[in-house]
Amino acid sequence: MTQPVTRVVVSLDAVSETAPAIDTAARLAAHWHLPLHGVFVEDEELIGLAGLPFARQVTLATGLGPLTKDHIEDHFRAFAERSRRELAAAAARYDLQWSFEVVRGPLATAALGGEHDLVVAGAMTRPVGDHYRVASRLLSRTATTARPLLLAKCRWESGGSIFALLRRRGPQSARILEIAAQIAVSAGSALTVAGPSDPASIDEFAAWVSGLLEGHSLSLQTEAAASEPAALLQRIIELDCRLVVLEGSTDEAEPEELRKLVGRLACNVLLMR
Amino acid sequence: LAATEPSRSQREPSSGGVGAPAGEPGRPLPAALLYRRCDPADLPFEMVSELEEPSAPIGQDRAVDAVEFAVQIRHKGYNIYALGPSGTGKHSIIEDLLRRRAERAPTPPDWCYVNNFVDPAKPRNLRLPSGRASGLREAMRRLVGELRAALPAAFERDDYRARREVLDQQFRARSEQAFGELQRRGEQRGIAMLRTPMGLALAPRRDSKVLTPEMFEALPEAERERIQHELEEVQGELEAVMQKVPQWEREHREAVRALSRETTGAAIALMMNELRTGYRDLPDVALYLDAVERDIKENADDFLPPAQPREGLSSAPGFEDAITEARFRRYQVNVIVDNGEQRGAPVIYEDNPTHQTLVGRVEHIARFGTLVTDFTLLTPGALHRANGGYLVLDAQRLLTGYFGWASLKRALNAGEIRLESLEQLLSLASTVSLQPEPILLDVKVIMLGPPLLYYLLSTLDDDFKELFKIAADFDDRLERTPETTLIYARFIAAVVRRKKLLPVDRSAVARAIEHLSRVAGDADRLSTGLRGIVDLLQEADQVAAGSGKQMVTAAEVQGAIDAQFRRGDRVYRRLQEEIGRRTIRIESHGEAIGQVNGLSVISLGGLAFGHPSRITASIRLGRGEVVDIEREVELGGPLHSKGVLILSGFLGGRFGKTRPLSLNASLVFEQSYSGVEGDSASAAELFALLSALADSPINQSFAVTGSVDQHGRIQAIGGVNEKIEGFFDACHITGFTGQQGVLIPASNINHLMLRHDVVAAAAAERFRIFPIETVDHGLSLLTGLPAGEPDAEGNYPLGTLNHRIAARLDAFAAKAAELARSVAAAEARK
Repeated sequence: MTQPVTRVVVSLDAVSETAPAIDTAARLAAHWHLPLHGVFVEDEELIGLAGLPFARQVTLATGLGPLTKDHIEDHFRAFAERSRRELAAAAARYDLQWSFEVVRGPLATAALGGEHDLVVAGAMTRPVGDHYRVASRLLSRTATTARPLLLAKCRWESGGSIFALLRRRGPQSARILEIAAQIAVSAGSALTVAGPSDPASIDEFAAWVSGLLEGHSLSLQTEAAASEPAALLQRIIELDCRLVVLEGSTDEAEPEELRKLVGRLACNVLLMR
Repeated sequence: LAATEPSRSQREPSSGGVGAPAGEPGRPLPAALLYRRCDPADLPFEMVSELEEPSAPIGQDRAVDAVEFAVQIRHKGYNIYALGPSGTGKHSIIEDLLRRRAERAPTPPDWCYVNNFVDPAKPRNLRLPSGRASGLREAMRRLVGELRAALPAAFERDDYRARREVLDQQFRARSEQAFGELQRRGEQRGIAMLRTPMGLALAPRRDSKVLTPEMFEALPEAERERIQHELEEVQGELEAVMQKVPQWEREHREAVRALSRETTGAAIALMMNELRTGYRDLPDVALYLDAVERDIKENADDFLPPAQPREGLSSAPGFEDAITEARFRRYQVNVIVDNGEQRGAPVIYEDNPTHQTLVGRVEHIARFGTLVTDFTLLTPGALHRANGGYLVLDAQRLLTGYFGWASLKRALNAGEIRLESLEQLLSLASTVSLQPEPILLDVKVIMLGPPLLYYLLSTLDDDFKELFKIAADFDDRLERTPETTLIYARFIAAVVRRKKLLPVDRSAVARAIEHLSRVAGDADRLSTGLRGIVDLLQEADQVAAGSGKQMVTAAEVQGAIDAQFRRGDRVYRRLQEEIGRRTIRIESHGEAIGQVNGLSVISLGGLAFGHPSRITASIRLGRGEVVDIEREVELGGPLHSKGVLILSGFLGGRFGKTRPLSLNASLVFEQSYSGVEGDSASAAELFALLSALADSPINQSFAVTGSVDQHGRIQAIGGVNEKIEGFFDACHITGFTGQQGVLIPASNINHLMLRHDVVAAAAAERFRIFPIETVDHGLSLLTGLPAGEPDAEGNYPLGTLNHRIAARLDAFAAKAAELARSVAAAEARK
């Protein structure tokens, strides 16, 4: 029996694309009849940087300019307020019980939420201009995330499929598979679970999956995972994925690989170590 | 059919003037001269249903010629003012004439307003051959509908998506390459690139962590300087890259737009070419379609589904529909004149001619709390609808309608219709509104109105003379001949058919003809008041239907005439009643010095009736002045005062050559409490004055009407029938004596169309009508004494009235002289 999710927490900050995260978190909370909690993180690294005597920032609008602590904190307050309003609007749309808090600390999800929470965070930073995005520091700090983390890159869409890549069968895999199944039911998506690449053990893996998801009314298929990253990516595209589920022990969940994967995919990623 | 009704001159001997009947001097008029009958037996039909309708308007040749002339001239300013009394059929005659001409005229073009893609505040107009504007409107509607399906499909196709992906990738790669290289160089030097809320910043790193100020301060100074130096170097490079970003983005957007234009152009080319095919013969439409194509290519995004619903607004009812509708309004065609169903030129009657109903309106609609407008909300006015044809307007309504006259003149002067709101015209609103391209105006305007208005406009409004050069003067009467009688019978036949009335026989026609003469106030004329005859026929039809008859005869027509009078005669009956009760004192028998029964006409609403009044005169010693008491108290009008002053002239001319007129006289309408106008009582006033001077009584059985000139000739007056009937009714109420009657000017005999009971009384010699030509003639009748003719020395024979007057004046003169001498002596004694 896996631990049930009792709350959806959305991680917000001043540099990430927060709209997909808020939308996804609100929809999941609505489907599961759970409360929605927003946490706006004031990035202490940026505050630290602003404290350096030579700190500067370059913007498209004004070019090179000073970066002060006051300046950063003003922006944090403004973005926090904007995030609060967006969260309130989303909660109102789905008639959710909601709460909001502002914390100061590192831009990482490790400290967010409790054991039974699903954390949703933006997978992308806001672009500089139309195209260039600095990689989100969240992606390089998922190694310490011990609870389910949904990296939202796109707005919630129903249908399509959810692709879960599970290299091993353990409690964490079981838990993330359970959450993936719940999301698949909520979104009306098919669930494809890719297991060990070894064809000999696929039947056993399939039986394990079926057993775990017994009772869920969904379209389920299991298959052997492609061993090559390119083939894996191609498979995800073929399946018209809305969500890719990664179990933390896989190579694809390593921070650098994860960053590349998120960059290439046009869908959200659910991760649990 | 030949009409055979004889004229009065044929029936009666004439004693003076060509065709002017007259009674014998000193004798009352025979009954035959009191009423010109129309004998049904003389009418060449039994029922009007046998008759054809008249082929031309009745008795309006002058006006018809004027209209025919004006409609043939297409030069500027030859618009028409149709003047004439109300009820003469101006409207129906004009409209009938215009429609007959309009049927043969070419059908004018259609007009549309379309979006001006360069300046939407100035909508363009398009002129298309009749019936083709609605086709263009439908074609544009279909085009937009097809594009809404075709363009999203074109942008969904693999070729577009692939090309777009390549473009995006190229530009993304350029950014990533520049920033990526910068990031790598930075990382090699321990510098990280961080996203800040507003842009990018560079931070020194140690062990994947940004140095805090404390850590930085703890470093050796040389290290701090090195970090700072390197940071500044990379910062310079970052700034250089950031400066290039806007240019890259601009290039990307332009490349995407070019791709979009190319994709759109390919997608719409076939549709646009098909559309153009139908309008190759219309260069303006072709130019418009070119502009449409350019606009679609530039704004292809409007045809694509929105990338994502608008947060917070997507659930508003009708919001998306309203946004979509607003996006495509600019491709609509606003057909303001559609002559597709029109055959020939239009004839438009605008019954409420104001600025807006003539030149059109700029309407507004409420959209999300604001009032907005565009070319689709331009609505046409009567000038648009009548363009290429005829516009008929009521002059009084036009002049009282809000800015109607000013706007009409402006349009006619400019030769174009400028569609603008009244607020703009009066500079009352400072908000930006539309300035639609003016539409060329080619219209013939016909104003219908009373003569007075025509004369006033001609005198006071210079524009009017320039713009309304043609007057179509409608007559209110025409000569009564067998031919015109028959034309009227045919008109009655037409009314019976159109109004679906009961069958009308010839006796009814004859009675109607007699009534028309009475309305015209002339036995030899017929009123052209067509509305009156139509009303009379309808009411006679109702009388017949009410009594269960299947046919309208003279009795029903008479019933309708009587009912018309009865409906309006309350005041008349009240006056007659008060005469009977002697509250209003009218003497209809006996004699009185210096008193005579005068006659006036009172018009109330649609009814005119005669009313007798006692006119009295008093004389005294004085300096030859005749005082008009009515004038002194400002109850007498100028014409009445003129009549009284003429009396002084008459007295001076006849009696003042050999003696001073040493008298003053006062004249008054007794029991008159309202204004008196006209000179028709001047003869009666003179008779009262002469009676007082001669000290000879006047027979009160008579009433008198007529004006008089300075030489004592009696002149014609109006309302003779009503005046005679008024005294007749007064005598009826006070009691007939067999001696009563009325003295009328001989020149009014032709106007007599008296009531049947009056004519019957005259035939029975119970009531008499005397025509008089001179004052002496009337004076003899009234006093029973000869007037007397002067000898060579100007003296009148003894026993005559004039002799008595002269003797009285001599006595006044002697007395005056004696008084003057006494005064002079008294002065001398002083």
